Amino acid sequence: MTRAQFVGTGSPVHRLNPVTKLVALLSILVIVFALPQWWVSAIVVVGVLLPAAVIARCGGPLIAVGGRILLPIVVVLVLVQGLTFPGGRTMVWQWGVLSVTAEGLLFALNVGARIVCLVLASVLLVLTTHPGDLMSALTEAGMSPKFSYIISSTLQLIPAFRSRADAILLAQQARGLAVPRNPLRRIGVMMPLLGPLVLGMFTDVEERGTAMEARGFGSTARRTALEAIPDSTAQRVARWVMPLVAVAAVVVPLVWEVL
Amino acid sequence: MSIAIEFVDLHFRYPGGVEAVRGVSLTVSAGERVAIVGENGAGKTTLVRHLNGILRPTSGTVLVGGASTRDRSIAQLAAQVGYIFQNPDEQLFASTIGADVEFGPRNLGCTPSEAAARAASALATVQLQDQAGLHPHHLSPSERKRVALAGVLAMQTPVVVLDEPTTGQDARGVEIVAGVVDSIAAQGRTVVAITHDMDFCAEHFDRVVVMADGLVQADGDTRAVFDQVGTLERAAVEPPQLLRLAAHLGWHARPLTPAEFVDASTREPRDLGTRVD
Amino acid sequence: MIQLADVSYAYPDSGRFVLEHVDLRIEPGTITGVVGASGAGKTTLAKILSGFIPHVDGGQLSGSVVIGGRDLSGLPLAACVSQVGLVIQNPFNQISGARYTVRGELAFGMENLGTPRDEMASRVAEVAGLLRITDLLDRSPYELSGGQQQLVAIASMLVLRTPVLVMDEPTSQLDPVGTRMVFGVLSRLRGAGTTIVVFEHKPELLHAHADRLHVLAGRRIAASGSPGEILSDPRTDQWGVSATRYTRAARLAREQGLVPAEAPLPVSFEQAAAFFGWSARTRPPSPEDAR
Repeated sequence: MTRAQFVGTGSPVHRLNPVTKLVALLSILVIVFALPQWWVSAIVVVGVLLPAAVIARCGGPLIAVGGRILLPIVVVLVLVQGLTFPGGRTMVWQWGVLSVTAEGLLFALNVGARIVCLVLASVLLVLTTHPGDLMSALTEAGMSPKFSYIISSTLQLIPAFRSRADAILLAQQARGLAVPRNPLRRIGVMMPLLGPLVLGMFTDVEERGTAMEARGFGSTARRTALEAIPDSTAQRVARWVMPLVAVAAVVVPLVWEVL
Repeated sequence: MSIAIEFVDLHFRYPGGVEAVRGVSLTVSAGERVAIVGENGAGKTTLVRHLNGILRPTSGTVLVGGASTRDRSIAQLAAQVGYIFQNPDEQLFASTIGADVEFGPRNLGCTPSEAAARAASALATVQLQDQAGLHPHHLSPSERKRVALAGVLAMQTPVVVLDEPTTGQDARGVEIVAGVVDSIAAQGRTVVAITHDMDFCAEHFDRVVVMADGLVQADGDTRAVFDQVGTLERAAVEPPQLLRLAAHLGWHARPLTPAEFVDASTREPRDLGTRVD
Repeated sequence: MIQLADVSYAYPDSGRFVLEHVDLRIEPGTITGVVGASGAGKTTLAKILSGFIPHVDGGQLSGSVVIGGRDLSGLPLAACVSQVGLVIQNPFNQISGARYTVRGELAFGMENLGTPRDEMASRVAEVAGLLRITDLLDRSPYELSGGQQQLVAIASMLVLRTPVLVMDEPTSQLDPVGTRMVFGVLSRLRGAGTTIVVFEHKPELLHAHADRLHVLAGRRIAASGSPGEILSDPRTDQWGVSATRYTRAARLAREQGLVPAEAPLPVSFEQAAAFFGWSARTRPPSPEDAR
């Protein structure tokens, strides 16, 4: 599993309001699905995503992470659609029963371009937006602090509990427990060890609840935020314009067809 | 006396790049009680985690029972080195305290009846014999720490490593831990303990190793090490209460225990007693 | 002022009382130590003092807990926590998980209470400086050592500036240098008027910093007094309270008849220096002296 992670370079892209970036991602999603032609996605990738990645100084990680996710998808897509597209008549290449048709390739290109576009846009968001900032921005925009807490704490506590699980396993090995190399048998050995982890998680949650209340989590006061969420008039305008463009991308082709 | 443990020019660098141990050589004989002291972050835990293979040297060698730890797994080393972790909640997992303490001996190949006997005796040593049927979570954190101690004692390993055994213990808990340290050594087994409690250290260990910045700063007989005031100060280690007091009073003696202190008080030249009114 | 009158408590569904008829009076602007064996009910008392019992844990609480003239049972939890800050025993669980840096973690409570931004930043900087964790501010709270997490947990409550602070074993993960620093900070806060109740085992530090000690034993307050009185009391062993080595040595000297039985036992280094300096001059003649 490839893990995309925040890369803090402090670039102008990083400094955008996280909500602006999220709206941009959602707008791109709508646009490339409303306009299925491959060149629409290509324009978004070449005209928006790549320049943004260069400005964000995240080009390397974007290609690396995006490539690792996309490569298998694209290969499968080209092989399957190129070779087996049912309506294909224009042979490009043939070997025995296998044939590649132009229609199949075009279909693969249209689907593939959209996937490439969406994966790169999502990875770029993750690379340039700290999850904490995203949550703060969404809370400021009206999302419930409790909901934001659930997401943030899950993101952080899962690795914390994983390291606790590793520590438990080590402690048992230190008491002579042989851990097999075979992953299946390994799981069998580890299962009984998970009891205390789960039980511990419950007592931890209870205690953590106490500690959170002690710090006013249940307070009804109007919350403030330590870090100012960066914003500007241009971004506020953009957050209206981008969805409008997306809506237009859906509506215009429909109207076109009716006319 | 035979050598129980040997570190030869041990270096260890964490994956993050921090070199926590920067060249430690140390030999511990069977039956010694060795305390490792120093500030948090001095490299103490990193050093002892090499003894049972939880960490592997970046360079250098660790020998346990005369053989390198290199080709032995943690589980294999467990027969040689019992390791009591700082946080008992990482160690306890069975549904009863008795079953948890039997876990180690059974892994080492004891029969069920032998494991049960060892568990019973280990629990008696830490004065929790009456709690054997309880779930570990019914105990207080300091009692759980003693269960973890029993779990390793029951393995009857030649070497026992304790990582901060007295933290969170009340007066009685410290006494019990002290009793365990003394009884292990009396059986000719080796105890290596990391501790911040210098008074505990003075009363129950015959050798002290002072660490700072991943290096050994002082090593030797407890009395002699605690007399190296300058070295201790640089390592942010304060000598035990009674040693400090004896030095302040201008005594020649360096008493480690209240009994030694009182004994010395009757023998020190009168004119050396500092006048404080 | 904090006043507990005839407080008894049993956890829900247990029927077994953990505390019985506890009376306790804590003066404002003081450091009060509560000592006692593990399992004597210290964590329970800490939760009662901070309103979490009965507001969160439930159970059977009788008697009255009055802080600043108001009975905690009549106040909503939010009002209790604005009066009393609780530092729980396990620092890992004090960390909220809601924020990704120590800086954010320290601000979390203030954010909840609506503290203005500039004020938050200055309090974070001030408390981080006091507890010497300024260099950790941009790290994740989860990648810290236990000792560092404990300092962050303490700092996360100090920034809230509650008039009362209740701390359950706040130095359990710290080395002696860190422990002394934390007690030094507590003394400064007391100087500024904060009332501090600390549940601790370390006698030398309690003697140096606490104004008064209470012993929790046998489900009640078994004794109260100055740290000197409590820590030199002959019943320390019975209570499960550690005595300093100075007290232990002096007690032994008294048992051996080397000092008069009525001499008060020393607790601190200075007292011990005076005690043994004096005993060295007035001790009974030894065989060497005869020569």
